[in-house]
Amino acid sequence: MLGRDGWAGLACLAVSLVLLVATRGLPQSALVPIGPGVYPRFVLGITAALSLLLVASDFAGRGRRARRAPAPGLNYALVGAAFAVFFLYILALPSLGFRIATVAFVLAFHALLEPPRGARRWALALGLAVVVALVSWFVFERGLSVLLPRGRWTDF
Amino acid sequence: MFELLGTSLVGILHWHYLLPLAAGTLAGVIGGALPGVTITMTIIVVLPFTFGLDPLQGLAAMAGVYVGGSAGGLITAILLGIPGTPSAIATTFDGHPMAKKGEAGRAIGLGVWASFFGGLLGGVFLVTATGPLAAIALEFGPWEFFSLFVFALSMVAGLVETSVLKGLLSGAIGLIVTVLGNDPVLGQPRLTLGIDFLEGGIPFLPVLIGVFAFAQIMTDVERMRRRGVAGAPVADARFRVPHLRVIGEILTRPFLLAWSTLVGLLIGVLPAIGGSAANVMAYDQAKKFSRHPEKFGSGIPEGIIASESSNNANVGGSLVTIMAFGIPGDAVTAVMLGALTIHGIQSGPLFISQNVKLAYGIFAAYIVAHFIMVLIIALGARFALRVVTVPKAALFPIVLVLCVVGAYALSNVMANVYILAVFGVLGYLLVKGGFPLAPLILGVILGDQIEINLIRAVMTDPNPWLFFTHPISGGLLAASVLSVAFALWQHHRHRRRSAGAAEEEDVDF
Repeated sequence: MLGRDGWAGLACLAVSLVLLVATRGLPQSALVPIGPGVYPRFVLGITAALSLLLVASDFAGRGRRARRAPAPGLNYALVGAAFAVFFLYILALPSLGFRIATVAFVLAFHALLEPPRGARRWALALGLAVVVALVSWFVFERGLSVLLPRGRWTDF
Repeated sequence: MFELLGTSLVGILHWHYLLPLAAGTLAGVIGGALPGVTITMTIIVVLPFTFGLDPLQGLAAMAGVYVGGSAGGLITAILLGIPGTPSAIATTFDGHPMAKKGEAGRAIGLGVWASFFGGLLGGVFLVTATGPLAAIALEFGPWEFFSLFVFALSMVAGLVETSVLKGLLSGAIGLIVTVLGNDPVLGQPRLTLGIDFLEGGIPFLPVLIGVFAFAQIMTDVERMRRRGVAGAPVADARFRVPHLRVIGEILTRPFLLAWSTLVGLLIGVLPAIGGSAANVMAYDQAKKFSRHPEKFGSGIPEGIIASESSNNANVGGSLVTIMAFGIPGDAVTAVMLGALTIHGIQSGPLFISQNVKLAYGIFAAYIVAHFIMVLIIALGARFALRVVTVPKAALFPIVLVLCVVGAYALSNVMANVYILAVFGVLGYLLVKGGFPLAPLILGVILGDQIEINLIRAVMTDPNPWLFFTHPISGGLLAASVLSVAFALWQHHRHRRRSAGAAEEEDVDF
């Protein structure tokens, strides 16, 4: 049975082989003695070889792995939810605009990591979210001339 | 050289530059003091603020973050027993025991002034060595550059603490990132996978921001609601720093100061080993050379001086590597390199001769940042404990918003934000898989240069043996092989010694 390293090696191997196959159609160049596909093939070949070695070393060390203590309980559900909130934020940015999306994101992320207890805590979290969105918008747009996304739906 | 430095020092004291430098140093000290917030994360947060500034203002702010962050970690290391950054790990060994004995002010003073002296000695090296090293690099042809970049990458991959194989694979993944998009010589599209925005290639700053920010934040998130605050805070944080006394204590140990600074400098010059290794190695050296090694760990000044002088000297060493060769020594200098690129400035051996004012401005900013750092920590250390209690639940979304702004503002397109997110996930998965991130980033930064120099060399002379027969190129390639072989041997020895140890360890990004 493969362990974590083995699966990681297999994933790297699969990606490098798919890309290696994709380099086959690259045309040769008349100006440069080695075409645009040579270096990628070299890099992808090395990656594939290293990935195979990782799979092999994981397979060879499976006995050692079985004797190791299990990892302490980590909150992966929270990590998944945090990623989900972030992805929703960046998907909402072009539609809602920076200010509205950022208020929603900061509030949601804060509430996810440390759920506020009581109306006062919720008000504080909302206040922080509004301040972060407005201060960052003001500093970047007005102070540093960095244009932040406007909302397609909100024009704000 | 010294006339130019003098002019730049006067120039950097103008409020136009002093303000961003001081703000950067303050941000660095706070970021360094916050456990769980690294200097890399701080500089990523500061990056978007530099977009609207002129190059020297932006780089002065970043130099301030680097210097302030390298010293800021000592505050929590001493007062809480938790290193604010990995570069202050060894400071906890003697700093916290000294603080617990009721000498918190002395411990903070020793740390700050050791950082100051170590950093300034590093500054002497930075100013005097960068030009000559860049002049040597100017003599390099494409064979030598190709081999230098391969050497840097193999060394970083080999010197990581986890697994040599994973280090090499991480570097190779970084190189793959650079082969997606146009080829760097003729701009011919390749491996775009049908995605339009890949045609221009993948910009390295969103990759760097995504990989480091998410790896750091999500590994903290997974421990949330599970782990309490480690370390015992010093009961009474109202202390006074006896400045004259601690300066005397440091200067009466000139060998310790000089040796620790040298260790920090050398580690800084070598790519991607970083301050986390420098302070521990300098501490170890100080203990070995000491006449009373048994006292280390009980709260003696030597331990603090060794650790703090080395980690700030390490900053000087890292800046030498990036300014002379264009190779970032760590993630912090990688972000600085990105800032240069944003302003259209080419890094590498020509940087110092083509941008004399900017280069000497960076030297001046580095030196002045040490004075500002002393001022900030001397005045503000007693308030630092309040700052470090900022809840991460409030801090993390702010950091992520600034990461998004940083990625978006590079070219005002959402594609960069999506790249940030994709590499954020990849960075987190790699850390969970025990893959080091430093080789990946170096691979992303050096990939194009490796390919360009390979093609230039082949276009000049198609004989591949020239890579081995040119003395410097051959020497560097031999050193690459040796560094990987040495790392393999070292890991094999370490594995035999620590057989049976627990699998899960903290990962050094």
